[in-house]
Amino acid sequence: MATNGEPLLVVDDLVKHFPITRGIVFQKEIGRVRAVDGVSFTLNKGETLGVVGESGCGKSTMARCVMRLLDITAGSITFDGRDITRLSAKELMPVRRELMMVFQDPYASLNPRKRVGFIIAEALEVHRIGTDAERKRRVQELLEIVGLNPEHYNRFPHEFSGGQRQRIGVARALAVRPKLIVCDEPVSALDVSVQAQILNLLKSLQRDFELTYIFISHDLNVVRYISDKVAVMYLGKVVESAERAKLYEAPKHPYTGALMSAVPVVNPELARSRKTIVLEGDVPNPVNPPAACRFHPRCPRFVDGTCNVEEPQLVEKAPGQLAACHFPLESWPLNDLRLPAGHTTSS
Amino acid sequence: MALLEVRDLKTHFRTDDGVVKAVDGVSFSVEKGKTLAIVGESGSGKSVTCLTVMGLNPSRGVETSGEALFNGRDLLRIGGEDLRKIRGNEISMIFQDPMTSLNPVHTIGRQLREAVLVHENVPKQQANARALEMLKAVGIPRAETRMEDYPHQFSGGMRQRVMIAMALINNPDLLIADEPTTALDVTTQAQIITLMGRLQRDFGSAIILITHDLGVVAETADSVMVMYAGRAVEQAAYKGLFYEPHHPYTWGLMDSMPNLAGDDSAELTPIPGTPPSLLRPPKGSKFNPRCRFVMDVCREIEPDLKPVPGDPDHIERCHLEEPVKQSEIERISAERLGAVS
Repeated sequence: MATNGEPLLVVDDLVKHFPITRGIVFQKEIGRVRAVDGVSFTLNKGETLGVVGESGCGKSTMARCVMRLLDITAGSITFDGRDITRLSAKELMPVRRELMMVFQDPYASLNPRKRVGFIIAEALEVHRIGTDAERKRRVQELLEIVGLNPEHYNRFPHEFSGGQRQRIGVARALAVRPKLIVCDEPVSALDVSVQAQILNLLKSLQRDFELTYIFISHDLNVVRYISDKVAVMYLGKVVESAERAKLYEAPKHPYTGALMSAVPVVNPELARSRKTIVLEGDVPNPVNPPAACRFHPRCPRFVDGTCNVEEPQLVEKAPGQLAACHFPLESWPLNDLRLPAGHTTSS
Repeated sequence: MALLEVRDLKTHFRTDDGVVKAVDGVSFSVEKGKTLAIVGESGSGKSVTCLTVMGLNPSRGVETSGEALFNGRDLLRIGGEDLRKIRGNEISMIFQDPMTSLNPVHTIGRQLREAVLVHENVPKQQANARALEMLKAVGIPRAETRMEDYPHQFSGGMRQRVMIAMALINNPDLLIADEPTTALDVTTQAQIITLMGRLQRDFGSAIILITHDLGVVAETADSVMVMYAGRAVEQAAYKGLFYEPHHPYTWGLMDSMPNLAGDDSAELTPIPGTPPSLLRPPKGSKFNPRCRFVMDVCREIEPDLKPVPGDPDHIERCHLEEPVKQSEIERISAERLGAVS
């Protein structure tokens, strides 16, 4: 991955709260869903940022904020040297060309009543690029790039399989030659064999067109395969972020450790003998997140009086590896979950 | 004797375009208290196999043959009322999507109670007590109050727990789980897998696990059947399948898995193309159009299921010579299984 170290996207302290209101005429705010609560990261040109976390941790909301599909509550987004946080819809038009998205569900994200050619060319039309003939040629070229038969531009989405539909979704995102593509769980709905095809396609497109990706997934295996940097989110916050190799070699945050040990291993002996952290329960309600460290009610290393009193900051725990935890993991693979002497764990 | 013994099962659907051979001559058996995993891509016939065994296929336009002996009785021959007594009582099923398999207008408690009352003539209080006990067993917090909640008040993982509670409430001998964790987060998946393992130990049920995730198979299965285009292409005990995989399709599945145990540089090698149409399956080996090792004979003659040298329990369906297979097995063990401890 050719990284020239130039930041393409800088997200600073991004906050997105959805108000919960009561009443029809005089809407009174009675609470807020803290979907994203202070996320910062820098993404360089040609890099891939993997974002992992369970459902409800705010990964998709974060991505939609970056795309400016949602108005953000606070913070700033700088794209290609320009602050796009408060741009109006009209000012955003040229920026939208550079920011594209691939969605999770290849069945629901393509209009069943439109032909594939139209679906892919729509962005070109919106941005008034090319004549009809040029657009058609571009669509055929795109179909070929993503590995589909260019003759199929006149077909409807239902005539394609799941993997082929996801290729159409990728072609649509590529149509206007964007700089950044946000992939929101693009392979979760696909079979493993097809999943590998799409991942390889995304990787080769990145090399050929110098694309930058934000890749959202709950599957750590997939993220490892495609990302340069990884951010782990929990309840609207980044709890750990590092370069890929560092994160997978030695995760520091217990939540990262739990996610990693939840991923099934394709080696039966290892799978049946390894030590794992099995998290109990679900992600808490983001309307009322737990005090201090948001992970403390589920954390196997919870220390009463520290974790539920003082919020840990996202700081460097190892060179190039940030984690927000008072008692980061000392070793990996997991040998002993208990804290070193001097601390008492209570559950 | 095996708890369930399926022999030469065929399920053919008649459609306007011709006959779809969704399941075409599959045989397998499940022992008491053991787990059989059925692996394959969408459309390989794994779900139809189980639906046929359960007698849940539509009654029109389907031709079924073969036999499915459950405790000595052929499930394909006993119809109607008798089968209904077995379903949900001695054999139960969990479906993939916990969102759509619960009734949204009834409380969880009522649905669990119903599962008991359909099969047993017991007072409502007793059924209620069983429901509560099961909800606690699957780890639902505050089970007493949650009995009165509706499905939408539960999260996805919790709903799948309720489904498991419902499936196990009559203490079945066999549980068929059709992709029970596919719609769930990895952490929830780990919880559900742990839970199913514990319940299997406690209740002694046999499990048929349908999945496309070899990782889940590695964690849970005792034996594995790999299906492709309506046929079994490889069947083995779990160790045989993972450490000595013999069929190119099984290799393809392993090569497509991104793996935490492998090293970062290992490229994924997807299986090219897509599964064939079952209306017009390819001649010869059904996998031949996508196979990297295809030979002339594969395009003409379909190989039979034959045992692997040295392991009579391990059968596979491929023309390839054993030495070629051995070198491929070595490569996969090195690349895919990572640090074999």
